[in-house]
Amino acid sequence: MRDLMAETKRVLITGVSRFWGAHLARRLEADPSVETIVAVDTHTPLVELTRTDYVRADIRHSLIGKLLRAMNIDTVVHAGLIVDPRRAPARVVHETNVIGTMNLIAACGAADSPVQKLVVKSSTAIYGSEPDDPSFWSEDMVRRAPPHDTFTRDLDEVEAYVRDFSIRRPDAVVTVLRFANVLGPGHNTPFARLFDLAVVPTVFGFDPRLQFVHEEDAVAVFERMVLESHPGTFNVAGSGIVVLSQAVSVMGKVNLPVIPFIGSELAMIALDRTVALGFSPHLTRLLRYGRVVDTSALSERLGDVVRHSTLDTVLAQARTRRVRDLVDRSSEYEYEAELEAFLRSRRAAGSNGHARSVPARRARRPARPRSSRTET
Amino acid sequence: MSQRSAARARATRSNGHREVGRLERIRKELPLTAMSATGTLAMRLHDLTGRDVLDLESLQELVALGYRAAEVRSAHKRGRYNVDDFGFDRDYTNALVPIFRLLYKKYWRVEAFGLEVLPRSGPALLVSNHSGVLPLDGAMIEVAVLDAVDRYARALIASWFGGLPMVSWLLRRTGQTLGHPDDSLRLLKRGELVLVFPEGVRGTGKPFSERYRLRRFGRGGFVEVALRAGAPIIPISVVGAEEIYPMIADLQIVAKLIGMPYFPVTPTWPWLGPLGLIPLPSKWRIRFHPPVRTDDYPPEAADDPSVVMRISDQVRETIQAGLVADLMERRSVFRG
Repeated sequence: MRDLMAETKRVLITGVSRFWGAHLARRLEADPSVETIVAVDTHTPLVELTRTDYVRADIRHSLIGKLLRAMNIDTVVHAGLIVDPRRAPARVVHETNVIGTMNLIAACGAADSPVQKLVVKSSTAIYGSEPDDPSFWSEDMVRRAPPHDTFTRDLDEVEAYVRDFSIRRPDAVVTVLRFANVLGPGHNTPFARLFDLAVVPTVFGFDPRLQFVHEEDAVAVFERMVLESHPGTFNVAGSGIVVLSQAVSVMGKVNLPVIPFIGSELAMIALDRTVALGFSPHLTRLLRYGRVVDTSALSERLGDVVRHSTLDTVLAQARTRRVRDLVDRSSEYEYEAELEAFLRSRRAAGSNGHARSVPARRARRPARPRSSRTET
Repeated sequence: MSQRSAARARATRSNGHREVGRLERIRKELPLTAMSATGTLAMRLHDLTGRDVLDLESLQELVALGYRAAEVRSAHKRGRYNVDDFGFDRDYTNALVPIFRLLYKKYWRVEAFGLEVLPRSGPALLVSNHSGVLPLDGAMIEVAVLDAVDRYARALIASWFGGLPMVSWLLRRTGQTLGHPDDSLRLLKRGELVLVFPEGVRGTGKPFSERYRLRRFGRGGFVEVALRAGAPIIPISVVGAEEIYPMIADLQIVAKLIGMPYFPVTPTWPWLGPLGLIPLPSKWRIRFHPPVRTDDYPPEAADDPSVVMRISDQVRETIQAGLVADLMERRSVFRG
């Protein structure tokens, strides 16, 4: 691998309305070597950002190229990949993931583009989940079976665009980060919702090997990849594995193997109707066959940046969920531009989550995780 | 809200009670009860027949099984256990070993030869002939290895097992993994004992009339892996496993229909239903042959088909010769 170097001074981040972009932007703000941070999203940032310039724009528009040139952006961080189908309607997920990425990368690859570094968030879902999979996926291995679902197919396309870019711009640093499923207190993922159920449905006769990455580690890896230059593709996951039944036991929940192994997807759709887990078909396959990736490339490059093992991540999740009822309201603090001044004036009281009572926000995302809990 | 949390708190409390409650106590006492019951049964049988039908050793094994199973169960309920990253759960496996040890000692009365060739540490690739419809020969080799050098041989299984409910996780839990070259190389590089059956389903699914005739050894993939890892190859010949399920026909149409590589017809299966699954009590011999060294070759030799096929043939001939020699010694299928 060539050791390319590129400076990171003027950064553009996508997807700040969700966990990844927002927390990454916040960490980059703390780094004085980063001069400018431009955040692009169609929705307002998830957390309060102090020196980030927020531009309400859709990455699907060619306007993004102009922005790159005007701001003389040297590093583009594409954190806008939507993995959780509960975040948006299926059509929007597809549009954002595929068309958005295509457009963003087209802008980065334009002849007069100042971009020197591209860091893209991807997912280990790209390896698929099949009964005859190898026990470990390393970055250079390719899934044998064609993808079964739209999300995985989209992911293939996203990475194909990134590959095209790295071929067209051999001088640029291109990093693809394939994250395993994330768990953590600030994050509401399909697996977090699954573990929140009082009785956890699993696929009969299967106990998949799974990997999780703690949200802190995920953001830490992301940050270092942005600030340093590590061209290539990297799997990001906590070391070790858990089997699903173990994760469920650690959570203190009851394992109920009721999902049939034939037609699991259908059963999961029915289940989704009642408890709104957001388990799309690729996750349902994961519940059957599991997936484990080899993270040695990452640790060779960055050392011990992933602090939580997979089991630690699950244990940490169990600990935070146990006291969820006590600290629930205060932990989910959301940023609203309109309320910024109000919140600043009432910082002490601001942490009690008034932000969630803004009607516009509720209307956009009516199915909050809380609703799933009330039904269980 | 407060009502709900109160209800939840109640539920947790009652859960806590239940754990130390009656149910738990009964479960804990179950092995003891079982032991005394089997003890009484053994005495009655002794009085009745005048012979030791159930001896003390097997009894101990059974009791150990009960205890371990109860222990493992309660640890698993609390999520307090560790699986390695292949999904191997040592405690779970140890709890199951007594069953297979009973089969090994009492049912098939396995005689193992050449156990001294097994390394006490470091990697080795164990290569065996494969037979008997169900891969029970793998389990017996693993018991032999475990009792000889206290190491867990990790067998590579056919990939279609991965799609089977129950079976797939049981195999993973007990240390088996899919026959993917990357998996075996990874295990060998960690210094594990890896057990492979190069014949694969061609070996287990062959008709009774062709017993003890080795099938093609794949494309020598196992040799490539051993060369890359620099691990010695230990050929193993198993005699007796061919007779446990004499396969008189293979219903390919049914097999295709349910996605199996073969559908066996034996004198008892499928006519007697689940009873047909009981294997015949043949007497087994497992012979471990002197290792074939691969560290004389550079790792690049793995890419040289002539070297790979030469070693593959050498291993195959060793196993075939071992089978023939042991068959000549054997006077009866069931009495050895």
